[in-house]
Amino acid sequence: MEIKRVVEAHNLYKKLGRFELNVGELRIPQGFATALIGENGAGKTTLLNILAGIRLDAKGGINWFCGTTDIDKGNTRERIGYTGPGHYYLPGWNTRQIRKVSELLFDNFHADRFEDWCKRMSIDTDGFRKDGKPVSKLSDGNRMKLMLAGVLARDTELLILDEPASPLDPVMRDELNNILREYLAGGEESRPRSVFFSTHNIADMESVTDYAIILAHGKIVEEGFVEDLKEKYVLVKGEPDSAEAAKGILYSFSGTGSYGYEGMCLAADVDRLAGMNVSLETPTLTQISVAVMKKHGRPAA
Amino acid sequence: MKLLQNSNTPIYRQIAEQLKEDILAGRLKEGTYLPSIRELAKDLRVSVITTMKAYEELASEGLVTAVQGKGFFVNAQDTEMLKEQHLRKVEDALTEAIRFSEAAGLTDKELVSTLKTLQELRMQGQ
Repeated sequence: MEIKRVVEAHNLYKKLGRFELNVGELRIPQGFATALIGENGAGKTTLLNILAGIRLDAKGGINWFCGTTDIDKGNTRERIGYTGPGHYYLPGWNTRQIRKVSELLFDNFHADRFEDWCKRMSIDTDGFRKDGKPVSKLSDGNRMKLMLAGVLARDTELLILDEPASPLDPVMRDELNNILREYLAGGEESRPRSVFFSTHNIADMESVTDYAIILAHGKIVEEGFVEDLKEKYVLVKGEPDSAEAAKGILYSFSGTGSYGYEGMCLAADVDRLAGMNVSLETPTLTQISVAVMKKHGRPAA
Repeated sequence: MKLLQNSNTPIYRQIAEQLKEDILAGRLKEGTYLPSIRELAKDLRVSVITTMKAYEELASEGLVTAVQGKGFFVNAQDTEMLKEQHLRKVEDALTEAIRFSEAAGLTDKELVSTLKTLQELRMQGQ
């Protein structure tokens, strides 16, 4: 099946103090959920802000929706929904005012859908009263839910979500996975929907992730469809006696206590473990991500 | 559909296997469309790439066909192929039985007579 890209970028470059974002080639598949994974400071937010059109001072070329290279042209911005760690609703606003402002700001905002989402995520329980709770009185989790309700109430084709799971409680994190699956399923053949989100805690979002891009100190160090990555890497567990021999073969290696070791092996190298007393397992995306991030640890200062 | 997260069988293969059973047993009829990959992902609470890979596996086995823009529909299953599929399952199960009988030190005769006894018991049961 041919897969198109909802966002494609070439030679993105941005220097911020000592940090450099340097992405040669970025491809986000259309119709799927893509996770941007990386440690704090890896450049996730910088990259998302560039793609969401919040930061416009980066070098390089971006193409959105297989068509436009200028986010301010046509209705490109209307087709994108963004949420991030900064709260873009004013602290004094309540849900009633947010509903009104959003209707003015966006052509594709549906007030009834906003109310439904607020209800479903139990944000506003007092029926959009005039004297309803202002944003400043909401918890971080509720503020994130409010922003999600705001973007889900619009007809968009791409959600760019910066750490959407972080402020949410475990039940709501699970629900977020369901919501994103529903969002993808709600797309049409002619208007497929895609999601691009960042997370430093991939386990929370693993069940919805189709494609993963791993970022380390400003560069993409690994990427692929999750099912392909799970075939590229193999989780190896072994007894202490084979630790030294395995160390030279494994992609990443940890723990040499008296109980043995664990490591990630490239599937291509698994044959070289023959004869060693090891067990092999399919890794989770979390395990792959951790191994890749460790391998590409911070450069020497 | 029952999916085991911590099984050694990848989720996409579990989905493919169960759909395959439904197709071979005739519960999914020839010509019907499978739910869209995104619809199925939503219902099963798995990622879209997982259901897509399951469908691609079914397509590679000739059980379904992909139609651009419309999805996957169930192919006509020819009875020869059905029989072939089942024969392979029988062979797998018998190979397993042979392995166990070797471990237990059974003779060929004992193994065959066990099979016959089981067949008879089954006949009586029905």
